Amino acid sequence: MTKAFYQPFAKAAVALVIASSLVGCSSLGVQPWEKDQLARADMAFNSEKLDLALDDHIYFSKEGTSGGRSLAGGGCGCN
Amino acid sequence: MMSIGLFSHVRKIKFIALSLALGLSVNAQTQAAPSLEHHVLDQQGTSVSLQEFAGKVVYVDFWASWCGPCRKSFPWMNAMQAKYQQQGLEVVAINLDVDTALAHEFLSKLPGHFTLRFNPEGDVAQAFELQGMPSSFLFNRKGELVQTHMGFFTENTPAYEHEIQMLLQE
Amino acid sequence: MQLTPKQSIASALALASCSLLSQSASAADAIPANDDWKVDAAIMYYGEQDRVQATEAIGNVQKAFGDTSLLDMKIVVDSLTGASASGAVAQAESQTFTRPSGDGQYTVGAGETPLDDTFHDTRVQLSANWQEVLNQDWTGNVGVYGSSEFDYLSMGINAGLERSFNKNNTTLSLSGAFTNDVVDPVGGRPVAMSQMVLPGDYASDADYQAAFDQTRLAGDDTKQTTDIMFGVTQIINRNWLMQANYGLSSVSGYMTDPYKILSEVDSNGQTQAYRYENRPDSRLKQSVFLLTKGALDSGVVDFSYRYSTDDWDIQSHTLETHYRYYFSPSMYGQLHLRYYQQQAAEFYQPFLMSGDAIPEYASADYRIGDMTAYTIGLKFGQRLSGGHELSYRLEYYQQNPENNGTEIPGQLQNYDLFPAVKAIIAQVSYSF
Repeated sequence: MTKAFYQPFAKAAVALVIASSLVGCSSLGVQPWEKDQLARADMAFNSEKLDLALDDHIYFSKEGTSGGRSLAGGGCGCN
Repeated sequence: MMSIGLFSHVRKIKFIALSLALGLSVNAQTQAAPSLEHHVLDQQGTSVSLQEFAGKVVYVDFWASWCGPCRKSFPWMNAMQAKYQQQGLEVVAINLDVDTALAHEFLSKLPGHFTLRFNPEGDVAQAFELQGMPSSFLFNRKGELVQTHMGFFTENTPAYEHEIQMLLQE
Repeated sequence: MQLTPKQSIASALALASCSLLSQSASAADAIPANDDWKVDAAIMYYGEQDRVQATEAIGNVQKAFGDTSLLDMKIVVDSLTGASASGAVAQAESQTFTRPSGDGQYTVGAGETPLDDTFHDTRVQLSANWQEVLNQDWTGNVGVYGSSEFDYLSMGINAGLERSFNKNNTTLSLSGAFTNDVVDPVGGRPVAMSQMVLPGDYASDADYQAAFDQTRLAGDDTKQTTDIMFGVTQIINRNWLMQANYGLSSVSGYMTDPYKILSEVDSNGQTQAYRYENRPDSRLKQSVFLLTKGALDSGVVDFSYRYSTDDWDIQSHTLETHYRYYFSPSMYGQLHLRYYQQQAAEFYQPFLMSGDAIPEYASADYRIGDMTAYTIGLKFGQRLSGGHELSYRLEYYQQNPENNGTEIPGQLQNYDLFPAVKAIIAQVSYSF
């Protein structure tokens, strides 16, 4: 009795969720479980941070402009 | 005896209906969808329903092989399953790797001594409206969603464990 | 036929080893015994042809505390030798210059670009940064920084906040930094635009010393830098993400290079005197940085562009790309290309004309002149057991200074007043 009783509610709930998710999120991006490629260590912004720091120091010393990068965002998006 | 049983049954139905209605009306995206009414794949690739755990306290955890905090959650989930299995806890870890081979590679190095299920299509994760990885959903013995956690933080594990204990006592 | 769990894992492992590398090293390698620590170390050699040579060593340690905190500490030691262009121009005769300390001179041959080889300097830099996940949406960080060399001390603090939206697909960040520098050059700071004195022009050492002291200011001076950066990082799709930053930097204080000079020449290009340069005491810079990075089946690629402009009239464009290709899951090669173009500061001039009034600000330092620069580099990396990585890179960096439109008088036309600077960069890194 319990399963048959709950099924219409569950069906309605699922339909509602599908509908609202179609209407809702239309901006750029991926689902949290689709971040396998972005979670790669070589895809992190700071994956070669020593190289970037050494390069920055060279170009800061030899050229008239410096800076620009930051390390925020990207990655696995976990926690 | 009979009348008390009927009364509590009606109360349960009313409570469930009210909570579902509240869930739908307040925030359909996060409240209504997570349920045990979904099918996932087992280790052999056969489709099974999450309803097989009806009557138990179910800790559903969505994980992937590339997710660092997921790696940290495995020893804790192993400990919980071992400690509370007798009392009726079922830890169900649903893997979301698109390539299931990677999940098996992960498991060969860090085994999960709990129920392992797979959803490479990601449709169950979508139905659960996952906001981040990992995500865990705690269901009571009646199959109602009681608690959702986004992310895994070692410092919060006492609180996670307390929630499980509370539901096991029901 | 139904596979038992053991059989399916074996076949799955076989599949995994055949699959293209689409997996982060962290999951593919054995879980390190203590994965709370991460150490990166590198040693780099920078050598210009006939000019500056530098060796730099970096050690970086990251320690995670729990699941929300991260401590990052870095130490850098670098040592500089060799000669760099003083800003004076070549002449048909040999030239003698007074060293910045006032003790001693150096001579440059006929037709040679004057290079000052006075500097043998070692610098030590220490920095620490603490990052904290505040809640599901917010992350904060604070840091301190200090560096010291014999004539320069720099100390700074920085802080930042990140807010993520849309299931961590979008991250906004705001960061700020404040640095205070103390400049105490060898021999003291030169008096702006004053003439260099040479012992040969004076009857006695005492007279020379008195004259030299006239060209020096007592004590040290300071410089403050305030930086703000606003950034957006956006995940585009499963393989691509992009970042856009806007930075604003305000510097005030002593920004003159105390060791650089300008030649004062007549209409025949004959040097009459040498004068110490002078730069304004404030500078406001703005920069826009765009980066896109993509995960490929067999590698990684990134493209970036930076535009910078400031109230010294220095404008620059930087285009950079890295392309990494995995020969095998444990070995990769990476190509690095960089193109840089700079427009001179408004007070940059390759020399002074003796008839003209002496300007308030002037510098012949080619590093703030018109310039294009190219870098081409190759890097190879090997992933070793236990999550260790060894990499080596070799790069070629060429700077091509250009005339900013100044007319070249007389004998100066015989010389290359804007010689290219060619450098090799070699580096070995190890991380575990």
